[in-house]
Amino acid sequence: MSSGSGSLTRYILQRLLLIIPMIWVLLTLVFLLLRVAPGDPVTAAVGDKLSPEAIDARRAALGLDRPLIVQYLDYLGSVARFDFGTTLSDNRPVLAVIRDNGGATLSLTVGAFLIALLVGIPLGLLAGRKRDSAADVGIRLFGIFTYAAPVFWTGLLVILIAAPLGWPTFEIASPITKFEVQPVTHILLLDAIIAGNWDATIDVLKHHLLPCLTLGLLLAGVIIRLVRVNVLQALKGDYVEAARARGIPEKYVVRRHAFRNALVPVVTVVGLQVALTLSGAVLTESTFSWPGLGLELIDYITARDYAAVQGIVTFFAVVVVVVSLAVDVINAIVDPRVRY
Amino acid sequence: MLRSKNTLALVAAGALTVSLAACGGQSGDSSGNGSGSGGGGEGEPWILGTTESVTSIDPAGSYDFGSWNLQYNIFEQLVTIPAGETEPVGSLAESCEYDDPQTITCTLVEGKKFTNGNEITSSDVLFSFQRNIEIADPNGSSVLLGQLSNGDEKNPTLADGAIETPDDTTVVFNLNSPDTTFLRLLSTATTSIVDEETFPADKLLADDQVVGSGPYQLEQYKAGEQATLTANPDYDGPNKPSSPQIFVQYLSEPSALKTAVESGQVDIAWRTLSPTDITDLEQGGKVDVLRGEGSEFRYWVWQLGTEVGKNKAIRQAAAQLIDRETIAQDAYDGTVTPSYSIVPPGFEGQKDSFKERYGEPSVEKAKQILEDAGVQTPVDLTLGYTPTRYGPNAVDEATELKAQLDESGLFNVTTQDAEWEEYQTAYKENAYDLFILGWYPDILDADNYLTPFLREGGFYANNYNSPKVNKLLDSELAETDTAAREKTLGEIQDIVAEDVPIIPSWNGENIAVASKQMEGVEETLDPTYIFRFWMITKQG
Repeated sequence: MSSGSGSLTRYILQRLLLIIPMIWVLLTLVFLLLRVAPGDPVTAAVGDKLSPEAIDARRAALGLDRPLIVQYLDYLGSVARFDFGTTLSDNRPVLAVIRDNGGATLSLTVGAFLIALLVGIPLGLLAGRKRDSAADVGIRLFGIFTYAAPVFWTGLLVILIAAPLGWPTFEIASPITKFEVQPVTHILLLDAIIAGNWDATIDVLKHHLLPCLTLGLLLAGVIIRLVRVNVLQALKGDYVEAARARGIPEKYVVRRHAFRNALVPVVTVVGLQVALTLSGAVLTESTFSWPGLGLELIDYITARDYAAVQGIVTFFAVVVVVVSLAVDVINAIVDPRVRY
Repeated sequence: MLRSKNTLALVAAGALTVSLAACGGQSGDSSGNGSGSGGGGEGEPWILGTTESVTSIDPAGSYDFGSWNLQYNIFEQLVTIPAGETEPVGSLAESCEYDDPQTITCTLVEGKKFTNGNEITSSDVLFSFQRNIEIADPNGSSVLLGQLSNGDEKNPTLADGAIETPDDTTVVFNLNSPDTTFLRLLSTATTSIVDEETFPADKLLADDQVVGSGPYQLEQYKAGEQATLTANPDYDGPNKPSSPQIFVQYLSEPSALKTAVESGQVDIAWRTLSPTDITDLEQGGKVDVLRGEGSEFRYWVWQLGTEVGKNKAIRQAAAQLIDRETIAQDAYDGTVTPSYSIVPPGFEGQKDSFKERYGEPSVEKAKQILEDAGVQTPVDLTLGYTPTRYGPNAVDEATELKAQLDESGLFNVTTQDAEWEEYQTAYKENAYDLFILGWYPDILDADNYLTPFLREGGFYANNYNSPKVNKLLDSELAETDTAAREKTLGEIQDIVAEDVPIIPSWNGENIAVASKQMEGVEETLDPTYIFRFWMITKQG
């Protein structure tokens, strides 16, 4: 094994080891923040129905009257055993919530990424190539608008336009589709395809369009600006000048030289947009009643469901950390300077 | 590199093709007119949209609208309250009668079965009540069965001899104390009868495994998303299902519910649309806004633990000033009815005691009350409210009440809002002199608006404690003579109007919005808030 590959292994191991304290800090923060916030699962659900004595009895039944440190150690012990417990407000295993609803969030974010790339890259390229033209100004304004507009506002606007046209504005599929397609992967689109049910597949795709578009536009704003800036820089590069000097037509210079080089940093930054995507997904899911983890998270926060919130936030954190790690590793492979 | 570019182009083209196919293809039938597997009923399948959530479909694990409504359609109770009526009639039981105010004997209908084929006997009834009390789920409503429990909140069990089952069809309830409201409690979802061979005795059953004997059976359930119910083919009770299949879609936001019903993505929207949305939909004319009598109650509580709140003259002066008609119109677009009693209209023994005591809003009379008591004006008063629990209209209501009190020149009101969780702590710790709360009854009986509010400071701990009221509450609960009970209930309401521990504000209607193809919706909109799926049909 070469010394280069050895340092890469060490780099990956270091990054892997760093994940443990990161997750621990996050778990602790979430645990404490939930306890600091006023209320608990009992008062959230039936606080205006029960006497103070009855509320105390229910809190005791949930173990919420125990010292905070005991609850914390108990919680950490459970997490160490990969036991995330059962939700307090509706009695579901937390891992089942992640399994059942994670597929919807995954298909939403993947769809949004696809739309963001399909919209962002061509527009960014065009803006970079036609610098300071009317098209450039228009595209830049579009990029700023889609990035700056709150995702729920964009969502409501999209719903207002699409609802009168008969386009589905909420949920991941029609009731019939959800009834007919049996969960295999818990990703409804894949399950519909696996079942060979093409009506259901099309129905699911139709339901994906508006939420994916809403979230995708948010990401597209980032990509447009990033691609534009990189294309501008690339077009000033010596190798581009050299290509032009050799008499290569401009369109080939842009496509084969400037564009290709401009995309390298874009791939890295896009990978790091996972956290933004997940936070956007929470709001998008709420706007479209999309049955993903984000919507569940909001409901469980409202219900002060400690177990559920801790479990879902931990899952989100792990996803962000793993994707960041993957991006770092890819960067380290591509650019050895990163390892040092 | 050229190859990778081509691949990218192919992926992009593929994605676009799929999108275009989706645009032009046949949609999955969002109207619900698809292949159902219902076992009975002749109408079309239909979709109910709601923002209510489901805590548990197991009757031992819930105390909320969303869960109870599924349970009313999936399970049966010993007695039921028919739509538009107030008196319980037999359901699983042929009859349930008081032997005395502390003893009820029920005789079960013979030959009834759960959908799994198991026969329903008195043993299942005993099991259902016992497990509910002993599981004492933190989200459950076992607290309503206090008349049958041993009273130990840490280790609740069925009290000795509380339920007797002398034979397979006879159940005798021996209550801890006289309670003429208990028969009505036997019609609520928490007393749904479950199969002792299916449900665990010491824990809740998973939602997707529940088995009942009601007009519908749960075919599929996705928590927080959708419940699919199909008609129970073996059901032979009084509530014959009209539609073979019903979908319940759970939405997160009232705005999404409004769009869904307006655009035909759901056939009925029931609970909860904002007053603004209801008015908007009514004016739009695309759908029917259907109204039934409700039993929701919104009221202002005086905290008698504060200097201001403990002064009866101040409480009476505010009651004299409040203009409920204006609050109903300006804060709720006229979608609520002004309330002049702690007990809503339509309940046995109800009387508009506040109207009788105070008449029309009057600054002069209020001023006189304060002068007679030697209260210096303006009185500084802190008004608490919470938009997170009661919505944006609660802000409008608080603003309107503040304006009314301030404009009299007798009060100087400061409003304070808080998030629901914080609010609950704040009002119990005397942060507000006057604060808003809401209530839905557990049972359709006037006592359900009296005992929880008035006995020993009520559940909201406002420090009001009247030995006379406590005695009258005991008396009305034990009274079997209707006229005598009504008199006692009226007397309690008069005392409340005099002492003013709370100020009634308004009563809500039971409102649903339905497409014009739907029939039978209006008939189920009554104060029980039971949404009777079996009564509703969709015309093709």
